[in-house]
Amino acid sequence: MKTNLYTPFVQATCQVLQTMLDLTDIAERSADEFHANEYLEISVGVVGDLEGFITYRFPSQTSLNIVQILSGMEMDCVDDFVTSAVSEIANIISGTVMTLLSADHLTCDILPPFQGKPDTSKEYSQRSQCCVSTSIGDICLDIALNKA
Amino acid sequence: MFWKDKYRLGVEVIDQEHMELFQRVEAFMNVLRSSQSWEEKVGQVNETLEFMKNYVVEHFSHEEAYQKKIQYPGYEAHKKKHDEMVQYVAEVSEQYEKSGFNEQLMQQFGGRLLAWLVNHVAAEDQRIAAYAIEQGVTGNEN
Repeated sequence: MKTNLYTPFVQATCQVLQTMLDLTDIAERSADEFHANEYLEISVGVVGDLEGFITYRFPSQTSLNIVQILSGMEMDCVDDFVTSAVSEIANIISGTVMTLLSADHLTCDILPPFQGKPDTSKEYSQRSQCCVSTSIGDICLDIALNKA
Repeated sequence: MFWKDKYRLGVEVIDQEHMELFQRVEAFMNVLRSSQSWEEKVGQVNETLEFMKNYVVEHFSHEEAYQKKIQYPGYEAHKKKHDEMVQYVAEVSEQYEKSGFNEQLMQQFGGRLLAWLVNHVAAEDQRIAAYAIEQGVTGNEN
């Protein structure tokens, strides 16, 4: 049976962006509409009742805007500092998702985030994409998970 | 300053320490992100890092004592998050010293610390405040 993963992912992303960045204008949008020439790709491994990866795509300007709001400082390029801050946000969103999933009796842990795309060439029974749009840009998530 | 009033828990001693922590992290980021060369700023970065290593531990223990005092049910989970951060700070510091004060390590540390701190105070710590309000034990800091 397929678990509804889409809703907790969107819910967690909205919750974290609202709490950390005070963003209120967050809306779901189709992943097909996500277009970015340059983006920061952060992946988080999942182990436990579900196994696989979550890959986040933050367009460069969205990444800079996020860190600018967090720090109150101007950021002009996606460097080590920005990449690390955005990776931690991906980590926080993933942790929030795992908490939401535990209400469905799914116990999972997350692994430290890494920059780049994992090898997702194998078959995943739970595969979906979701995207949220905000005043500081879009964020897209690629979910590739299997029930253990 | 990147401190926001919405981060207040309503427990004076904890709020003061949070403000101090935010000020120190901000000072750390200002040096880290300044246009000076790494050689020029590394001394100041090291000084702030040293202070934070001690201050973070001290602050976490005060906050944990408060949670115990009000019998906060999320104490164990919250302490685990503190312990993981303390361990991360210790590991990065050790790696940083061994590397001969590598700038990339500190930039990565600064970015993670920033996001972690904002989330921890804006989300995790607010649950302590919500519990204290619910139990009618706000201000129970002595």
